[in-house]
Amino acid sequence: MTETPAPRRVLLVTSTQTYKVGAFLEAARQLGVELIVAAERAPALAWASPHSQLVLPWWDAEAVAQRVLEFARVRPIQAVVATDDESAAAAARAAAVLGLPHHGEAAVGAARDKLRLRETLGAARRPVPWFSAFPVDRDPRAVAREVPFPCVLKPRFLSASRGVIRADDPETFLAAWSRLRRLLERPQVAAAGGDLAHSILVESYLPGGEFALEGLVTRGRLRALALFDKPEPLVGPYFEETLYVTPSRAPRKLRAALWREAQRCVEALGLSHGPIHAELRATPRGVVLLEIAPRSIGGLCSRTLRFERGSVSLEALLLRHALGEDVSRVRRERRAAGVLMVPIPRAGVLREIRGAQEAREVPGIEEVRFTLPLGQHVEPPPEGARYLGFVFARAARPETVEAALRRAWERLEIVVEPARAGSAGQSGLS
Amino acid sequence: MIHVTELAKDKIRALMEAEQRPGLALRIAILGRGPGGFRYDLGFVEAEDQARDDTVVDTGAFKIFVDAASMENLKGATLDYVEGVYESGFKIDNPNPLWKDPVAQKVQEVLDTKINPAVASHGGFVALLDVQDGTAYIQLGGGCQGCGMVDVTLKQGIEVVLKEEVPEIREVVDQTDHAGGKNPYYQPSKGGSSPFA
Repeated sequence: MTETPAPRRVLLVTSTQTYKVGAFLEAARQLGVELIVAAERAPALAWASPHSQLVLPWWDAEAVAQRVLEFARVRPIQAVVATDDESAAAAARAAAVLGLPHHGEAAVGAARDKLRLRETLGAARRPVPWFSAFPVDRDPRAVAREVPFPCVLKPRFLSASRGVIRADDPETFLAAWSRLRRLLERPQVAAAGGDLAHSILVESYLPGGEFALEGLVTRGRLRALALFDKPEPLVGPYFEETLYVTPSRAPRKLRAALWREAQRCVEALGLSHGPIHAELRATPRGVVLLEIAPRSIGGLCSRTLRFERGSVSLEALLLRHALGEDVSRVRRERRAAGVLMVPIPRAGVLREIRGAQEAREVPGIEEVRFTLPLGQHVEPPPEGARYLGFVFARAARPETVEAALRRAWERLEIVVEPARAGSAGQSGLS
Repeated sequence: MIHVTELAKDKIRALMEAEQRPGLALRIAILGRGPGGFRYDLGFVEAEDQARDDTVVDTGAFKIFVDAASMENLKGATLDYVEGVYESGFKIDNPNPLWKDPVAQKVQEVLDTKINPAVASHGGFVALLDVQDGTAYIQLGGGCQGCGMVDVTLKQGIEVVLKEEVPEIREVVDQTDHAGGKNPYYQPSKGGSSPFA
């Protein structure tokens, strides 16, 4: 008589706002892995698969620990993976109580708080911009006298460029401060940030090209899975992400410098096991890490990354890595790939998306996918946090990918009905 | 045959006159099925838009065109106009069952009694579009569109329940266009402008 092997079970810690769960479910199905989806709220029909779901209030570390331990006593868990910034701390907590390899709680906490990130990297002698945090209720006119210009105002905890505003002089600084303060006072934002929502981080603005590095850390050693160029200049006043293209066309020396700086920052923070997504700038004075998140690339952007000649998704790679498999020999496919994060032209109600079919017909475009339904209130950065959708392209060369994405972008027409007076800031997305 | 009440005829005639395009006809089509039953589309079309397989109903005041597929499920239906505190507008009283296929009927019953009440508490709904060869084609609407957890609801919820309750179902396919709030599975077969929307 043969024994049925015990299922390989992975706890996927996620927020209900992410788009990544579907890709992880599919990857788990292909790998024969049982995926336990742990979110802050039970999904509809949770009763249908009670053993596949777990409610984790990720803002309560003790509750996370208790629920994970209770669950794992009955259904042992072999690995923990986080999908997004909000759930990363809970994933680190879950892994810690289960004794599983994962980025540590302190490292995840430091990466999430942009002030602690700067302090930790500065203490480790990594290059950081001038920075200082100020209480949000301080007189911004006084703060403006203490900061260098141009500078960038940031919330300490939000992602996707949300709330990030450049100021070139005291006048634009006051306007940016006021705008950011209003964002931080939104009930959902304030609740998500907790104490971190009570201060504003101000940094000197760093000129230079920006890159995103997708990596996998194993026992503290970073391996770059992909380096993305961001060909659309990010100079402010807002920093909306649009184009990502990989492989990078940067000179070999710069690519090496970007990886090296990311590795040093990983070490400085103590990030030890799991995916990272880092944003770096190549400034005239050298490479500076702007942000690093202890999770994989956001939104649906992971669709740009395929491994082993296109047969393995990023999510499958992450599950295999989390389960202890040696994936160090798995390589990204040779073809170039890229994504356009479709920007929201203005705040209001999304009424119509024109040109989607025409965009799909551009040679090299693989998929055009919108993630916000018609009728939804939308808002661009700095207040908004979500993209309208994603356009994916693949070709032999990165310049062909970029050209295809730009042509597809030109063909899209997004109809947003302006928000009525008084309705700004009432978005369901906040 | 489709019946039209006098009140509905008066309202339609008035709408046609407002269009100031003589010779208009009314087209009625079934777009699909939703949580409340059939989903209809009513719109004005030119007389030359009559298709070869259309059933033409002459009400005396105007003509109604109905495509063959829709006519199957509109026999004996009555088009009425209601005006009240809670409800006003055109209403179709349709005696036809939502599904004739027994497997589809079972799936619909599970959706109505077990799945949709739970999904409705999250602001969404699930509509059955079709059942073919053991595959249930569904569409998610309301709060499900654009929701990050929709895949969990589909894979670990809807699919599990349907397979358990209706053993004939082997696969559940989501046909929702999560992109734009439209349903790509069923498209209106005929054009026409609709003052009824």
